Amino acid sequence: MRLPHSCGWVDGAFTSGGGETVTNEEILQAMVQRATRRRFLQRAGALGVGTLALPGLLAACGDDEEGGGGSAATAEETAGPAEVPAASGRLDYLSWEGYDIPDALKAWKQANDINVKTNYIANHDDIQAKIKAGGSAAGFDIITYYQGYKPLYAQLEILKPIDESKLPELGNLDEFWGADLGNFWVDADGTRTGVPWTWTALGISYDEAKTPAPTSHYDLLDAKFKGKVAVVDDPTGAWAITTHILGMKPDEVAKGDLAKVNDFLSKIIAQSSGVSPSFGDVTTKLTSGDAVVAFQGWSAVNKFAADAGTKSIKWTLPKEGGFTACDCWAIASTSDNDDAVYSWMNETLKPEVHAAAADYVVGGVTVGDAFPLVSKDVQKLYPLDQQAEVLEKAPLYNNPPVESDEFVTFEEVLKNWQELKAGAGS
Amino acid sequence: MSAVAQPPTVPPVRAPAQRERGLRLGPVLLTLPAALTLLAFLIAPLAAFAVYSFLTGSLYEVSGPLTLENYREIAESEINRKLARNSLIVGVLAAVSSVLVALPIAYWLRYTTSRAKPLVLFLIIASFLASYLVRIYAWRTILGAEGVVNSGLGALGVIDEPLTFLVFNRFAVTLALVHIYLPYVILVIYAGLGPLQPAYLEAAQDLGAGWFQRWRRVVLPLTAAPAASALLFVFVLSAADYVTPQFLGGTASVMIGVQVQVAFQGTGDYAGGAAISFALLAGFLVCYAVVALGLRLAKLDRLRFVA
Repeated sequence: MRLPHSCGWVDGAFTSGGGETVTNEEILQAMVQRATRRRFLQRAGALGVGTLALPGLLAACGDDEEGGGGSAATAEETAGPAEVPAASGRLDYLSWEGYDIPDALKAWKQANDINVKTNYIANHDDIQAKIKAGGSAAGFDIITYYQGYKPLYAQLEILKPIDESKLPELGNLDEFWGADLGNFWVDADGTRTGVPWTWTALGISYDEAKTPAPTSHYDLLDAKFKGKVAVVDDPTGAWAITTHILGMKPDEVAKGDLAKVNDFLSKIIAQSSGVSPSFGDVTTKLTSGDAVVAFQGWSAVNKFAADAGTKSIKWTLPKEGGFTACDCWAIASTSDNDDAVYSWMNETLKPEVHAAAADYVVGGVTVGDAFPLVSKDVQKLYPLDQQAEVLEKAPLYNNPPVESDEFVTFEEVLKNWQELKAGAGS
Repeated sequence: MSAVAQPPTVPPVRAPAQRERGLRLGPVLLTLPAALTLLAFLIAPLAAFAVYSFLTGSLYEVSGPLTLENYREIAESEINRKLARNSLIVGVLAAVSSVLVALPIAYWLRYTTSRAKPLVLFLIIASFLASYLVRIYAWRTILGAEGVVNSGLGALGVIDEPLTFLVFNRFAVTLALVHIYLPYVILVIYAGLGPLQPAYLEAAQDLGAGWFQRWRRVVLPLTAAPAASALLFVFVLSAADYVTPQFLGGTASVMIGVQVQVAFQGTGDYAGGAAISFALLAGFLVCYAVVALGLRLAKLDRLRFVA
């Protein structure tokens, strides 16, 4: 089974360019099969058999005979054997604190004499804001983006094309994440702009000491939760999950349907004790008793809360589902040290480093071979055998379009969110 | 050979005009580095944003032609009016509360002979060492559902359910802002009271003035200017704050600063964000003018201390 570049998401399943529908379950089965194949090939490689051909073979998507399904294979065919670029010097990092995975990359930095200059963001919009404000003088090399931001970043031209021939470890990606899902990290013409490396599904967080697990997002509107719902200040995330609940796609909400989304979102905000500026604050509200449930619940909050001494914070994906956010490494348009970024990407795609990174950021793995190496806590949060089910109920979505006469746009969503936040108290 | 007495060597005296020019140029030269720094890093960016506010912004870029559209949108936006009203209320509450709390503390610090004075001053300054966010979260710990107040009252059997009106509202925001800015206000007023010699109060007392008269006719006129400065200082910073309301404000206390943040960071509407900023600046200048006018009408703006 080969996933064409023109495939996309419809109701939680893939559709190929020819209209063939591929479910997450099928993709997972193919992924498991390929993992087995990879292990065989790794053993073969250890015996000195066909090592250079490995990435191309691994990139074959589901069906070996068809070949070339993954974009890595495309690059392999055109660019020759993969080679890790020599990396050194200063690497300017612009992303979340923690995503720089200092412990996991310590040996790599020392071995390559790389000095990582970290620039942490407070929210996702900091990335484009800082790059656009600083221009080329900003000098940021490596950034991350979650899949929904791809159209905006493409329009802003802040992503450099990634040369897959410089990413021999790219073949370690599971088939699901290696494919060009909805053009999130590989364009329709095969140009790669991101390397997915961690993901999470957003549902509902709750304190099981105070309430049974909500089975529906509508449960959060119950009077018993008045003032006890935590809501994080993530307009595009709130938009994505609400449109999903209402049976719409976040990037295809007709302008006339805005009122339906607003109706639900305004009720959720009115249930809250105020919109939290970060997931850290959501965690604090849950652990301090100021909130009992959280809209847009993130499973990692369980671990953050447990680390803070509250083990009763749990996560559930209600019957309507939710949405999944997958973060990708990317090369910023302002980069002057691409080789170091390639080296970083390769390093984090190695199972051992990938597992350490997953533990550090409490995220799901995109390299299946890393899963057994991940801590039990994180394995429980992102079980590989339930990945397909989770992704079926909580699909990957695009953000609203940057410009559209038909659909609600990204800018309109942000402004709308501000109005909802301000209007909730009136 | 007899020695001939030589007239003592006298250093050449600069001509009065030259000396005057030197005196005039001295301060100019001394302030030049600061002036150039301000010009490069404050005035020039402000001027650029002033121009931006009359352009059209979209996705982190601005383009012409010049237009008043951004200001028209601000004026017609109901949400902006509501957020500006929230900012005004919180700003006034925080500023007035801070000054009222700070005045007696500063007064005590100025005139006390207590050996505790250095310790109190140290504690006021030490409060600057605590992070802004730590201080905000401290209030959540005190006022939250399972915080110090609710836990204490619950343990005493005064309440069965946590009091929910303590936090996530305007009261909590104001309380935290007063806590954050109080040390500045105390120090500003304390410094302002410096020239107010105890002899003035003793003289007033000798002339038969009671404590209220001494306060109203001596202390108040002489502290009005520094108190007004402190008042405006806290008002501007509090009204423009957008962080504290996010942590303590709840749904009814979102403030106008958030609109600026979203414009610059989220939507990349530099022109719209600049216009809101300058509208805010204009509002603050009006407030400044009102306070200055008030001082003038009360004849409190021309008082000078006589050494």
